[in-house]
Amino acid sequence: MTDALTVQAVQKHFKGVHALRGLSLRVERGITYGILGPNGAGKTTLIRTILGLTTPDSGEVRALGVVMPNKAILRQIGYMPQSTALYDDLTVHQNVAFFAALCGVNDARTVTQAIDLVSLSARAKSRVRELSGGMRQRCSLACALVHNPDLILLDEPTVGIDPQLRVQFWDHFRRLNQAGVTLIVSSHVMDEAERCDRLGFVREGMLLAEGTAAELRQRAGTLTLEEAFLHFADGSPSAAERV
Amino acid sequence: MSFNRIIRVARRVIAQLAADPRTIALILIVPMVVLTVAGILIRAETTAIDVGIVQQDSGATAGFGIGFVNLGERLTTSMAGVSEQVTIMTISPESADDLLQRSEIDAVITFPPEFTQTVMDERVIHLRVAYEGSNPMAAQFLQGIVTRAAIETLAGLSVISAQTLPEIAIDATYLYGGEDFDNLDFLAPPFIGLFVFLFVFILTSVSFLRERTTGTLERLQTTPISRLELVIGYMLGFSLFALAQSLIILGYTVFVLEVHYAGSLLVVFLVEILLALMAVNLGIFFSTFARSEFQVVQFIPLVTVTQILLSGAFWTISAMPAWLQPIAWLMPLTHANQALRDVMIKGFDLVQIAPYVLTLIGFAVLFVLLSARTIQRQTGA
Repeated sequence: MTDALTVQAVQKHFKGVHALRGLSLRVERGITYGILGPNGAGKTTLIRTILGLTTPDSGEVRALGVVMPNKAILRQIGYMPQSTALYDDLTVHQNVAFFAALCGVNDARTVTQAIDLVSLSARAKSRVRELSGGMRQRCSLACALVHNPDLILLDEPTVGIDPQLRVQFWDHFRRLNQAGVTLIVSSHVMDEAERCDRLGFVREGMLLAEGTAAELRQRAGTLTLEEAFLHFADGSPSAAERV
Repeated sequence: MSFNRIIRVARRVIAQLAADPRTIALILIVPMVVLTVAGILIRAETTAIDVGIVQQDSGATAGFGIGFVNLGERLTTSMAGVSEQVTIMTISPESADDLLQRSEIDAVITFPPEFTQTVMDERVIHLRVAYEGSNPMAAQFLQGIVTRAAIETLAGLSVISAQTLPEIAIDATYLYGGEDFDNLDFLAPPFIGLFVFLFVFILTSVSFLRERTTGTLERLQTTPISRLELVIGYMLGFSLFALAQSLIILGYTVFVLEVHYAGSLLVVFLVEILLALMAVNLGIFFSTFARSEFQVVQFIPLVTVTQILLSGAFWTISAMPAWLQPIAWLMPLTHANQALRDVMIKGFDLVQIAPYVLTLIGFAVLFVLLSARTIQRQTGA
């Protein structure tokens, strides 16, 4: 079976910004991979490139073995953006059902299950406008999961979600992994990174280091991931300019 | 009350606007564009009437020492002198109906062989005027011109005293419409189109902008839906509202305002739907150029008011300055208005308005492609 994701020497320039500088990484199937880095490190650009929203200047991205951008494979990919992109005027159920249908899932039970999973059943008939930040986040997650994708990209998924629910989420992510689903999670919260099977430290559009949390700590000779990140970051060219 | 705080707010508002050059440009440019177009139209002679004359009068010898006169010819000459807005051409009796039907002339005045003789004998000027009739304003205007010309002609004969001044009886026939046609009958068809166009344009441009600013558009692009599917979906959805709106507007104008309609309401509907489709795509297209709902609102007068002015709804296109006419025909609304008038006033069927309908379909397809392209542009990168 092909890897869930391969990123091969991807370069991306925007107006005056060198967002990705020859970044490469490989994610095998059935794991949760954490992309860690400060704001502006290129995490979101990387995720957008994986989804085919952005075409790289050079290099190649393969999601589920298919060169991106590719519309057809998107049916098997789930995406939860950083800002909850939902239709405020519609209810939770309408939003989830809409995104499900776009991916070819028209079955009402699947929709209800997805809403159940993010503990929003009680608010299924509420308009998204009326929800709190955390609830919107959960609704957005339901939209990303509802079509049972093989690869799920989550951009800062647990921001604004209370600890109890966060545990629930991670339990579910584990179950998805066991079913062979690959998750790619971007985050700048280090303690969340501990839960990922593998981690990639991203800074200034490059992959600084990669491995399991334990490996990374060991290689850096530090006790925490945070310190490990700083250790690897110091080796990068413009560490002094870091804000 | 703190003056400082007020100034702070004012400065913030100015800074925000200054950071938005596009809105500033629109604020400055839109009024100029609209005023220029309106100015040209208002300054231009807004009525241009083409009259065909069927000249068969053989003249007669009048009393009072006038000798031989041909009143038909005299009337024709003085009509041309009465107003510059009237263009007179002599036509053959056979071509009269055809020219009227094709709306190339607005009216035909026929002077029969015994015209002068009848005036002499009966002291009544019987004028036979056949109006094209779709524009009641033109008909009224012409009525005035004919009456003035008749009075002038008779006055020119000078010997006819006030007491013996013949009556003027105009025997009018209308190809389309009729005597009871008023300005509303003329203006209603384009209005029916304008509303649909205006509302659908506003709705789409704002909702598509929202789709973009809330990130749902990008979210959609991470699903298998294609840009074309999205645009067509939007078109279908809004068409429903356009349809409902057309139904109400049409019902209200026809049954409550009692505006005349001659043709099939189904054809009117078809044109309305085409207009709605165009408005959806124009809305999507223009929303690309707007960063905020603020800017979208600025586009509304630019896209709609200018177009409405040029669409022939109020000012007939043939009366516009020659260089402006091709521009008017570039406006989709112009074609819709022509089609709607042809159907409602003249009772034309789908085949007869086919050129307009095909043009509208062409516009719609062009805008679909344009808007699908712009979606790509705004998120593509």
